[in-house]
Amino acid sequence: MYFAKKYCWLLLFFLIASCGNNLLPSGTDERAQVQPDTVGPEVGQKAPDFAVSDTNGGTVTLSSALASKRGVVLYFTMWCPICDSHMTQMVNTAVPAYPDVRFFAVDYVSGTVADAAAAQAANGFLALPVLADTEHTLLEGYRATMGTTVVIDNAGMIRMNEDYSNGSRLQAVLAGLP
Amino acid sequence: MMKLRIASIAAAVLLAGAAALFPAASWAGSCCGGGSAASLIVPKYARSVADISFDTEIYHGFWNQNWTHTPDPPGSDLRQYRVNFGFGQRLGRNWQASVIVPYVWNVNQYSGLSSRTNGLGDATLNLWYEALDDVSAWRVRGIKDLVPSVMIGPSIVIPTGYSPYDDIASSFDVTGRGFYRVDGNLLIEKTIQPWGISASLSYGTYIERSVNREYGKYVEPYKKKLGDRTSASVSLSYNYFIGSGGDTLTPSISYSYLNEADGRVNEADDSSTSFRKQAVGGGISFSGTDRDWSVRASWSHAIREDGWGKNFPTTDIFTVGVRYVFR
Repeated sequence: MYFAKKYCWLLLFFLIASCGNNLLPSGTDERAQVQPDTVGPEVGQKAPDFAVSDTNGGTVTLSSALASKRGVVLYFTMWCPICDSHMTQMVNTAVPAYPDVRFFAVDYVSGTVADAAAAQAANGFLALPVLADTEHTLLEGYRATMGTTVVIDNAGMIRMNEDYSNGSRLQAVLAGLP
Repeated sequence: MMKLRIASIAAAVLLAGAAALFPAASWAGSCCGGGSAASLIVPKYARSVADISFDTEIYHGFWNQNWTHTPDPPGSDLRQYRVNFGFGQRLGRNWQASVIVPYVWNVNQYSGLSSRTNGLGDATLNLWYEALDDVSAWRVRGIKDLVPSVMIGPSIVIPTGYSPYDDIASSFDVTGRGFYRVDGNLLIEKTIQPWGISASLSYGTYIERSVNREYGKYVEPYKKKLGDRTSASVSLSYNYFIGSGGDTLTPSISYSYLNEADGRVNEADDSSTSFRKQAVGGGISFSGTDRDWSVRASWSHAIREDGWGKNFPTTDIFTVGVRYVFR
């Protein structure tokens, strides 16, 4: 019985030691101050440049995306249910509200432009330009994952780089674009 | 002696029923991780029960917000494997508790990306009160033979898995949802040999939490709460008694329903996390004469048609498990 109790305590210790940081969630703001005029994925940094094919076969660069626009939004999708939900909401709300901002979905899971185009069509997002990030230039450059939403202003500065969540943060950031 | 035999058979049926009744209702490994929460019941007159099962969940696509089924991207093969360790202990004549801890492997292959990650899933603690006992009648002679087994009790999901709010690099690393959840559970079972029928109903609410990090990146802190969860399932089983020794083979079929309401982010609605899933399943379990050991295999199939779900992956879940009852 003594051994069984000891074993249970060991098991409990292993369980707590193995799990993530969700048992005691923190609400402390731990964002680091970024150095101005540096290039990187953090809010306040200069956005990393890129040259990526879209699903129409054209090449999109950061400068071409920003041309004559107040900003650019990149939404990272793996064509999952939450991605679909976010993209549907974005297409229905933010896209029509901000015609002077360019919106892109970034497909980082398809290996070819053709696969990305097929996924775009199958998911019903033909009206939303999709970048086929086959080399993971954007995924790695912006430290993104499923649902990551990046807003870059006309000066090339990152204004937002976080999960889409319920879209309210995106709306607030777009409203504050110069 | 006869009463003991009937109780023993009832226990076997209860085991088989409980195994079929709670198909894993996990979140997709391909997008949102999630260890499963199965249920574990200590049979009447038993001291405790130990269980280990292995799930293979294969993803085929998802239902979108408009209830339309959409296939996964071309060239993708998305899977989640889980080993679930369970232990249930009788606390008193009508009380029992159990714990289930899953370990999760996410194996995702797309045409342009592949990923293999693993980690602990979310653990579940259950407390059950056995309000009514089923006498498992062979023939209905009176109203008391129609009394079902009724169990009620709370459970709590503990976020022991890796969630999007941990120090992880991508969504492929996720093995849990990151929230505590408290459920109220009801389990009803009735056996009139050789048939058995069971139904379960659960309602759960997540505990609001603070978030200051998403996929390893610190963000402006906010409060988040997932929507309330409702789940229900029914199953029908048939007991074949093999030979004269009392070995039992129990095939079963089941239907399950799962719904999660809109979440909240800083008190504003978040419809992106709400979902609905309907699935059908089948299973078979075998228990020997002494009823101590039982083995089972089951299959849960999400119906890959429009209208059967919303904002949720469509998967097939194959489970094999073995259970031992300590007398």
